[in-house]
Amino acid sequence: MSTRETILDSVRAALGRRRPDPAAIAAEAAALLADPAAIRPALPVPDPVEAFALRVVSPKVGATLERIAALGALPAAVARYLDAHGLPHALALQPDPELRALDWAGYALRDTARPDEAAALGQALWGIAETGTLVFHSGADTAVLNHFLPLHHIAVLQAPRILPYLEDYAALSDPAPRNANLVTGASGTTDIEGSYVRGAHGPRFLHVVLVG
Amino acid sequence: MAATHADKVHVFKEDVTRALGDATLKLAIDRTTVTAERKRAAALVDFPEFAEARRRGTAIKNHVVANLDHYLEQFERNALASGAHIHWAKDADEACAIVIRLCRAAGARSVTRAKSMLGEEIGLPHALAEAGIERVETDLAEHIIQLAGETPSHIIWPALHKTREQVSELFKAAHRDPHKVEEVEAMVESARRELRDRFMNADVGISGANFLLADSGAVCTVTNEGNAELTTTPPRVHIVTAGIEKLVPSMAHAMAMLRLLVRSATGADLTQYTTFHTGPRRAGDRDGPEEFHIVLVDNGRSRMLADHGLREMLRCIRCGACMNHCVVYRQIGGHAYGATYPGPMGAVLTPALEGVEKAKDLPHACTLNGRCQEVCPVSIPLPTLLRGWRDRSWKEGLVPQAMRTGLGLWRFVAERPRLYRLGSAVAVRAMRLFRRGGWIASLPLAKSWTAYRDMPAPAGRTFMEQLRDRERQGGRQP
Ligand code: SF4
Repeated sequence: MSTRETILDSVRAALGRRRPDPAAIAAEAAALLADPAAIRPALPVPDPVEAFALRVVSPKVGATLERIAALGALPAAVARYLDAHGLPHALALQPDPELRALDWAGYALRDTARPDEAAALGQALWGIAETGTLVFHSGADTAVLNHFLPLHHIAVLQAPRILPYLEDYAALSDPAPRNANLVTGASGTTDIEGSYVRGAHGPRFLHVVLVG
Repeated sequence: MAATHADKVHVFKEDVTRALGDATLKLAIDRTTVTAERKRAAALVDFPEFAEARRRGTAIKNHVVANLDHYLEQFERNALASGAHIHWAKDADEACAIVIRLCRAAGARSVTRAKSMLGEEIGLPHALAEAGIERVETDLAEHIIQLAGETPSHIIWPALHKTREQVSELFKAAHRDPHKVEEVEAMVESARRELRDRFMNADVGISGANFLLADSGAVCTVTNEGNAELTTTPPRVHIVTAGIEKLVPSMAHAMAMLRLLVRSATGADLTQYTTFHTGPRRAGDRDGPEEFHIVLVDNGRSRMLADHGLREMLRCIRCGACMNHCVVYRQIGGHAYGATYPGPMGAVLTPALEGVEKAKDLPHACTLNGRCQEVCPVSIPLPTLLRGWRDRSWKEGLVPQAMRTGLGLWRFVAERPRLYRLGSAVAVRAMRLFRRGGWIASLPLAKSWTAYRDMPAPAGRTFMEQLRDRERQGGRQP
């Protein structure tokens, strides 16, 4: 008997049954998700966009935020951020067609972040107001490492993409990417005496540009 | 394979004595656990729905455990469809052998590893070393204890027993370009510089799993450092080792569990990096592993499932809250338990995983004050389970040998309520002696104990005795 069969057999024996009833199990699993409002914290303000904006700069997330009216203003907003940190106008820019169509004159751009990259910019696919989370899906336009290698992680998010709660993201029927990266702040550690330090392996800074 | 820990178990009392006499250790433990306790409490103030969320989380895990065969098969089906390879391992040795075989097949010289308690449980660090494969621990705490040649002393903060001074010395001795100022920031930066090229040059990345999603075959990992993604993305092969109890029906269920897990562990609402990994790199993907392997490990879990008491322990989501709030853990630290899992959850799990004979002291490292159960986000009755093990070692002389080697403990005791009451009473009577010494008095530590500690006295009566008293006061017969 294979190890797989041995394990499944001992699980079945322990449960004392022969054959599970998938329909009954599915119904029970669905019932466990009923009334989600009872098991999650309510948003501090009803509007998910405002809730997200509040949340992302709160100490819980600790990001910085700039709001712009339209995507066209992104290169100038990013320039302001880089200038404020004394960084050159150089970026690992996600090769997202929408971002690449903007006017990046004066910038040195590359597609993927190097191990010592100072700053990378990517477009989040979704935002989640409850936790101030940015969601990125890996793919042809999105390298996973662009969110983890740079010291400054800059993310642009369009307001209509903001969902209220974690379950709302889970309920999307988008096909699952290889990696769905939920980013909620910059990299941090409390591994030395419990004191909180940023930039453990991933970014030390998270800057969000919210469009709309 | 978990030889290092198993061999240590019999010296529990000596370890306790040593730990109690170590003022530096006490300081180090307090620095982290006190912060953790405070942050968790603050997080719950902002989450008045916690009690209901906890009930739901408990129900979700109970549902999974009661249908584990179904969810294992569903997960396997969906993971295979996503292009993952699934491997099954009965025990620690099998699991390690599979990982080593996969590493060898990948021609791996160097592997990066993101902290996983299951990896520690199965002795994977040791197995990799034996196989001559270089292992680079990437979680900052695991990196620290790898440099120190130690094992984790906490399931969330494995290096919690280390002071900043000790970390500084380790980094200065080992890092190519170490920190120059004695600040924690500078030390973290030193580790960042040191590990950068290790991440990028690894042949295989090994991670654990916080959740396995049955309906999609996805594996969920959570970290605050981002080391999991840096471990699993650059190498050509990603191997996940996961216990078979890690399943949840879907991502929505995982989200409900994450709310409980993260608040209970660190007091944050969500980890900085929460990633769902589904299969290997797709055509056109910019990065990611070409091969994705998931090793599903039983290692005693199906036996726990057969035991009605220990089955409850399969809900555990490894948040560490029970140890942060445990007066005994806070006095002696994780290493004194001499096992992979310390604290209350460890005192219940270790006898189940390694055998009660090897770990019979552990269930006595408890005052039965009930804090652990109160804070457990999936309501595991840890004190009751600990009492179960106490009864078990107490009655060892009475029951046939066959009884002692299996895990039929709960049935045996349940069928003998008088024996249960007697067993509990004996255990607590032994604990009462604690005030005058008790299990700890048989050790030469009275002095070291009082030097740095202020130990609350144990409750002193068994639950059954208290219940009877209460019922008497209420004028009813027990
Ligand atoms: S027993 Fe409960 S409190 Fe302890 S680690 Fe497990 S889930 Fe957390």
